[in-house]
Amino acid sequence: MKKEMICLFVIILFVAVMIVPVKLVASEEEHGGDIIYTIPLKSVLFSHKKHVEDFEMDCDSCHDDIFEMESLAVQQKNDFTMESLYDGKYCGACHDGSTAFASNSQCARCHIGVKGYNRLMGKETGEGGH
Amino acid sequence: MKINHENSNDDMNTPSKMQRREFLKLGFMITGVFAGGTVLSLASNIDVFASPEEFAAQYPYKPHYSMLIRQNRCIDCELCLKACAETNEVPSYGYRTNILERIVPDALGQKREFIPVLCNQCNNPPCVRVCPTKASYKDKTNGIVTIERRKCIGCKGCVLACPYNARYFSEEVHSIDKCDFCFDKRLSKGEELTACAAACPTGARTFGDISDPQDFVFKMIHQIHNPVWVLIEGAGSKPNVFYMKA
Repeated sequence: MKKEMICLFVIILFVAVMIVPVKLVASEEEHGGDIIYTIPLKSVLFSHKKHVEDFEMDCDSCHDDIFEMESLAVQQKNDFTMESLYDGKYCGACHDGSTAFASNSQCARCHIGVKGYNRLMGKETGEGGH
Repeated sequence: MKINHENSNDDMNTPSKMQRREFLKLGFMITGVFAGGTVLSLASNIDVFASPEEFAAQYPYKPHYSMLIRQNRCIDCELCLKACAETNEVPSYGYRTNILERIVPDALGQKREFIPVLCNQCNNPPCVRVCPTKASYKDKTNGIVTIERRKCIGCKGCVLACPYNARYFSEEVHSIDKCDFCFDKRLSKGEELTACAAACPTGARTFGDISDPQDFVFKMIHQIHNPVWVLIEGAGSKPNVFYMKA
C-alpha cells in the first residue's frame, strides 16, 4: 500500500515537472509571433507578443471570428482595407478609439513601411536611393 | 525682411508711418505670424497683408506650385518613390524624393514617424545662385527650379549648396537631376498632379497652386488651427514645400 502511494507520488511529481515548463514555454511560443502584412500595402506589423503577453488577450478574442487562425489569410480578401477598419472590421473591431486607439490615428504605430519591412527581413535599406 | 534704414527719422518721438509699419512687420516676423512661420511660434501662419500687391509678392508665380506634406499620414509605403522613379526615369542609385524615418523610443504610443522630402522649389534657391553655367534656373512663370541638362558641367556645386540634399548626379544623362514637380513629364502635358502626389494613398502628399486662394494647399497653409512649418527655415531659401500634421 505504502509502496503504491510512493509510486503515485513519484508519478504525480514527474507529470507536474513535465507540465509546468511546458506551460511556461507555451506563453511565449503558442502565439503567432510577429505578423507582417504586405497587402494592400507594405507593410503593417502585428505583434502577438504585445497583444497576448502584454495585454493578456485570449486567442479567442480574435480567432476565429475576426481573423482566421492561418496567418496572413486575411490579406487575400478585397475588403482588408482601412475603410473596413473604420467600419469596425478586422483590427477595427478593437481599434475604434475606445477599446484601443482608433484606426484613423497614429498611422505609423502599426505601419512600419518599406523601411521597417526591409529591416525585419534583414535587407539593407538603400540609403538615398529609391 | 530688412529694417529700412533709409527712412530713419531723427525725431524719435514721432516715428514716421513707414517706420511704424516696418517695426510692426518685424514684430510679426519674429512672432512668426507670416506663412511658413517658425515651428516655435504658436500661431505660425496667419497672413497679414496690407494690400493685394503684398500678397502677390509672397507668391510671385502663376501658377505658384506648392506641396503640402501632411507628415502624420505618411506610412512609408513608398508608392510615391516608385511612381517618381518610373515617371522620371530615375536610376536606382539616384532619387528625386525620399522618405526619412524618425524613431523616438521614449514617445508614448506611436514611436515612429515618416517624413517625405523632395526639392522645395525655393523662392530664393541657393542651388541656382551657385551654378556657374546657369544650368540651374528658376522658371520665370511657375517658379520650378529646373536644370538645362546640356549646360550642366557636373561640378556638383548645387549638390553642396542645397540645404535639402535634393540633388544627385545622373550618370545616365550626364547632368545633375532633381525633382521638377513632374513639370516635364506631367504638368506640361496637362496633368494636374505630380506622380508622387497622384500615387499617395493617404493624402500625405498634396499638390496645389498657392497663387489661388481657393486651392486646397493654400487653404491648409493659411489656417491657425494646426501649425504649418517648412524645413530648415534658417537657410533663408524660402521653400515652397510645407509641412503639417493634420
